[in-house]
Amino acid sequence: MDNQESTAPIISLKNISKTFGAVTALDHLTAEIEIGATGLLGPNGSGKTTLIRTLLGLIKPDNGSGTVLGLDIHSRQLDIRRQIGFAPEDDTIFPGVHGIESVAYAGELCGMPQSDALQRAHEVLDYVGLGEVRYRKVESYSSGMKQRLKLAAAIVHDPKLLIMDEPTNGMDPAGREHILKLASDLSSNKGMSLIFSSHLLPDVEAVCRRIVVLSAGKLLIEGDISELKKVHSGSFELRLKEPPDAFIEHISARGCVVEKVGEILRVAMPSGEGPELLWRQASADGLQIRHLRPQRSTLEEIFLGAVERR
Amino acid sequence: MPIVEQGYQHWSGHLSGHRWRWLTVAKQGIRVQFRNRFLRYLLFAAWTPAFILVCALSIWGLVERKSKSVASIIQYLQFMNPHVIYRPQYYSSQIWQLSYSYFMHVELIFSMILVLVVGPGLISQDLRVNALPLYFSRPLRRIDYFVGKWAIIAFFISMVTIVPTIVAYIFGVLFSLNWAGSLRELPIAIAAVAYGLIICISAGTLMLALSALSRNLRYVALMWLGLWFITGVVSDVLEANHHQALRSDYRHQFPIHDAPIPGAPPGALIPLNRSHHADFLTYLWHAKHNDWRQLVSLTGDLSRVGDHLLGTNDAWQRLAKLEPNRSRRMLLLIRFGGPWYPWYWAATVLAGLFLLSTGILKWSVRSLDRLK
Repeated sequence: MDNQESTAPIISLKNISKTFGAVTALDHLTAEIEIGATGLLGPNGSGKTTLIRTLLGLIKPDNGSGTVLGLDIHSRQLDIRRQIGFAPEDDTIFPGVHGIESVAYAGELCGMPQSDALQRAHEVLDYVGLGEVRYRKVESYSSGMKQRLKLAAAIVHDPKLLIMDEPTNGMDPAGREHILKLASDLSSNKGMSLIFSSHLLPDVEAVCRRIVVLSAGKLLIEGDISELKKVHSGSFELRLKEPPDAFIEHISARGCVVEKVGEILRVAMPSGEGPELLWRQASADGLQIRHLRPQRSTLEEIFLGAVERR
Repeated sequence: MPIVEQGYQHWSGHLSGHRWRWLTVAKQGIRVQFRNRFLRYLLFAAWTPAFILVCALSIWGLVERKSKSVASIIQYLQFMNPHVIYRPQYYSSQIWQLSYSYFMHVELIFSMILVLVVGPGLISQDLRVNALPLYFSRPLRRIDYFVGKWAIIAFFISMVTIVPTIVAYIFGVLFSLNWAGSLRELPIAIAAVAYGLIICISAGTLMLALSALSRNLRYVALMWLGLWFITGVVSDVLEANHHQALRSDYRHQFPIHDAPIPGAPPGALIPLNRSHHADFLTYLWHAKHNDWRQLVSLTGDLSRVGDHLLGTNDAWQRLAKLEPNRSRRMLLLIRFGGPWYPWYWAATVLAGLFLLSTGILKWSVRSLDRLK
């Protein structure tokens, strides 16, 4: 039974469509999201926010069916929201309260008893690093602190699924790093499934194992990031100890196509040739190769490729 | 030490159902409001009339029992009609009705001030700091949110209307030691509770609607003050003009042939003699039965419905019958009784304001199901 539960998708959507007047926000979307951390990607207007609101039961789709944590999105909206933690994108707080009250209140709104909510609020504020400022009015928090406060409010009732919408928007590098660490810890070590919606691909890559890419309300790609980042046969990335200008000239003359990205050279080999050609030429030029590996797609390439193919 | 090493504990408690979720919103709002020191002082001050009501009903209970302990007090009640003093049990209902009526009139003013202190920020602050996504992404419906916010206002109004009403009834009954009589007065206490609820519903929804119209609570407070004061002033001015017009009409319909006052400027109004005065007051009292001008005032409407529930005008009419002088009788009815226009006019205005308020709330506070 446990095995079955662990392999069952936490979210299952079949043929979901939603239009707002002339705008089609979701277009016959069918997707399954497994337990673990999933990145939700897509250009502006791709339907990410509508999808999140559909998952939260805030929007009734025009047609299609689906379940979230096994609960029907058409009939169990309140139960779904009780089981989910949601950290919205917007700068949003409960006004006129201290940090501790704000988080406890969020727990009570989910149905926690008052004493449990208060105790949990202390715990999660310590966890997100706001323990020292728990008795400060939330209006005085910095934007980074407000993001962590939203996260604390989203996890206070220990949800099975956490949805974070653009959690690192407008944050400084240290704050961003902090949020990513917390998100990663929750999904990898605490058994909380995570849907991480962001425009920042490195953030998604740092936290998520899988991605779902949307465009114009349609599903473009879904799958494991490691599988999607496929190896390019006949293409290599290399870095030399010395300046590479002569080397580039020589291998180009032998039919290689070279692209310089910072210190890294991306080399597409001519047909029939392997990396031995690069070793031989470096040796002939008296250069030292410090790094050589088959080229893999970056998440950015996967994303842009998917959007362009459409 | 990295933050993530501080640990995260799972919680294995039970989440309650959705039925009472509005109560969480209400409790939190009340907790936050009680931090306002001015509000606490105001509540304390608002209980002073309640204390007086309790004292009045308790003393009246003793007067009914002809208790020796109040013999010295009776001399201070000489302003009342002697029939009432000597046969208090026959006029007990009227005394209770009028006591509750005066009490509710004073508490209506306190309620308006309480709403002014408690209400403006309830929704406007949530709109200002964009708190709605935090509410509606949790298992909370819009109706739960509205009812929770309304319950905060209702709580404070109830504290100065419904609760003292019940306390006063209990004390009045205890001091009169007349159980049959206490059952007779029970409908008055129930009517006062109903009136308190009407104030809660009407003022509460109206303030919520105003609060949803602006993100600046000062503007909301000003709108409330405008609704309360300006409508009251306009109503008073209209009524005064109407009164003047009635007086003028009366003189045209019934010309008075008294001799002019020596030395009075030409065209000055000739004072009515005693007989004319009684006729004029009777004419005025009948005219007031169709005077819609007090409908303009929010508190006037609430008072009219409250007076109907408490039977204030009936009480004054019964007491006025004890007065042999017609002029004094009519003066009593006009000065202390009323307003005399049909109560359902006021109820219709309040119902209209309620519908308008719910419409504004529905339009202003949207769920997260809309595109930005």
